[in-house]
Amino acid sequence: MADAPHDLSKHKKSYAAVGIALLVFTVVTVTIGLHPWFDLGVPGPDAGDFVLGLLVATIKASLVALIFMHLNHEKGLIYKMLVFTFFFASGLMILTLFADFDPIVEQFDTFKTTRGWLTEKP
Amino acid sequence: MEIPYEVTPRRDTGLYNAKLGVWLFLASEVMLFGGLFSGYVFLRMGGQEGVDNPWPWGVSVHKNFVWLGAINTVVLIASSVGVVFAWVALKERNWRKYQICMYFVVACAAVFMCIKTVEYNSKLNHHHGIKLVDNSVMEGVILNQTDHLQFTGEKLSFSLSGALPAVLNDLKGEEFPVFTVAEGPEGVKGAEISSHAAFKAWFAKSRRIATDNLVRERQRFRAELAGGTANPKPVSVVSSVTLSAAKPFAIAANPRKVMAHNATSVNYRDGVKVEGKLVTDDVLFEVHEVDLQLVLPTKQQGALVWEVLNDDEGAKKQFFDAQHRKYQEIKAYFDKHGGVIPESQLRGRYLNVQYVHVAADGEGHGKEDKHAQVHSSESNPTAGGGEHEGHHGPSRQIAVPRDKIKFMGNHGPRYGTYYAIYFTMTALHGLHVIGGALVLLFFAVFGKKLYLKNPEHLANRVEVGGLFWHFVDLIWIFLFPIMYLL
Repeated sequence: MADAPHDLSKHKKSYAAVGIALLVFTVVTVTIGLHPWFDLGVPGPDAGDFVLGLLVATIKASLVALIFMHLNHEKGLIYKMLVFTFFFASGLMILTLFADFDPIVEQFDTFKTTRGWLTEKP
Repeated sequence: MEIPYEVTPRRDTGLYNAKLGVWLFLASEVMLFGGLFSGYVFLRMGGQEGVDNPWPWGVSVHKNFVWLGAINTVVLIASSVGVVFAWVALKERNWRKYQICMYFVVACAAVFMCIKTVEYNSKLNHHHGIKLVDNSVMEGVILNQTDHLQFTGEKLSFSLSGALPAVLNDLKGEEFPVFTVAEGPEGVKGAEISSHAAFKAWFAKSRRIATDNLVRERQRFRAELAGGTANPKPVSVVSSVTLSAAKPFAIAANPRKVMAHNATSVNYRDGVKVEGKLVTDDVLFEVHEVDLQLVLPTKQQGALVWEVLNDDEGAKKQFFDAQHRKYQEIKAYFDKHGGVIPESQLRGRYLNVQYVHVAADGEGHGKEDKHAQVHSSESNPTAGGGEHEGHHGPSRQIAVPRDKIKFMGNHGPRYGTYYAIYFTMTALHGLHVIGGALVLLFFAVFGKKLYLKNPEHLANRVEVGGLFWHFVDLIWIFLFPIMYLL
């Protein structure tokens, strides 16, 4: 941890810079959501818009974690712990995706995605 | 006793106790929120169309509150900067600056929660939706609590074995009706009740009498059995009562507590039956948006919603004009990039949810059409909220017949999976904000003693408190776009 006065003043500058960067990225996030120019792909919300929005959020989160939470110069034990956390949290995300391969809900799924279009005559 | 490594780090790990502890705690928090984010992805990908209400597009559902969400993001970022500067102030041994920074952080937390309250209040009290039996959805405001059944009661019947009748909460008017107990067990009959407190006292007393009667009957039955009576008279007690009112009384029956109703009676879920006359069960509604995502495109022109809107040609034209305009946009995109328009696009929210304004009688529709051009909900997400009604002129109140309604409610958790996960995640995050702010406030108010004894120890505490606070900020950084914008 930085204790020397020159280290602290360096820290202060980086904290302020990160604070400003986060504010700028917040404006970018809102603009992506609201401005048609950032509407990627087909008009309306689609996967591209989602990826772009989450990309900006990830950059912001990385800044907070690296600078504010000091993860850019943390001790090895913390990193080891976070590797496990990352592994299990990713597993949690991926596990739910297996629902798409569930044969039991497949039939219902077909109906859901077509909203009865295939079975109902207009 | 001196606890080792409270202030100075352990040589092999390079960490002091609290820091290791808070990182372990944050790891568990990642799993907690990770589970909820995973749930969000699952729900978003697999909403049960037709069963559930359609997943709204964040921007449009929050209407004016996108900006409040953005302000909250800024507030949390400012508070995060405040925490790190408080820590730096402690390292510089500047108590005054430290306190100012910490109070600033707590003030930011208070502002965050106030804004959250405004937002929750709006969702729970000022935004409603009605899904009709053909799955067409109207978003807007239910006026004057008309989701409640308006009924004029003359008689109440219920059992003394249950809880205090829920109908008491639905009585309208300041004066409590005067009831006379027309039927009921001996000792209960004939009483007169003229106030809420008297009703509660009478109910408690009568329930005791009914219970005593039951006990006596059972004793009689057992005694007869023991005495050798071949066919003892079965246990039978009167526990139901009927109250008749001196003059008809008005009730607004909460639909969530009512099991069934008709022109002459309302049956509550707790077994209470009110007899009298139905005044109206129509729901008065101010429409802001029509959502036909769940109606086949070929059936949209004849959707039930247009009938409910009294075949208002202006509103219908607004909807289909906006839809046509957006269809042209999608078509132009595929003309340019090749390929055919996917089914999901034709059925999606972009084409099938449009702002409509149902003008009050006497308002010209030509003018409204122009407004619709500017304020269609997707091109301008701030349109459509009750707050903006002034821009569009007064709206007509629509009376929606109850038999055409499949579901209605405020934008609370039961409105759909989006609202369920929205309230779960933002409320849990809000609790973290409150918890974190209380800890930091404690360090700011009561930290002086520790500061004078060992400032480095307090700096460590603020660092771990700050780590939690940054984590709370980090969660919001993801919550804001996925809930409000995307």
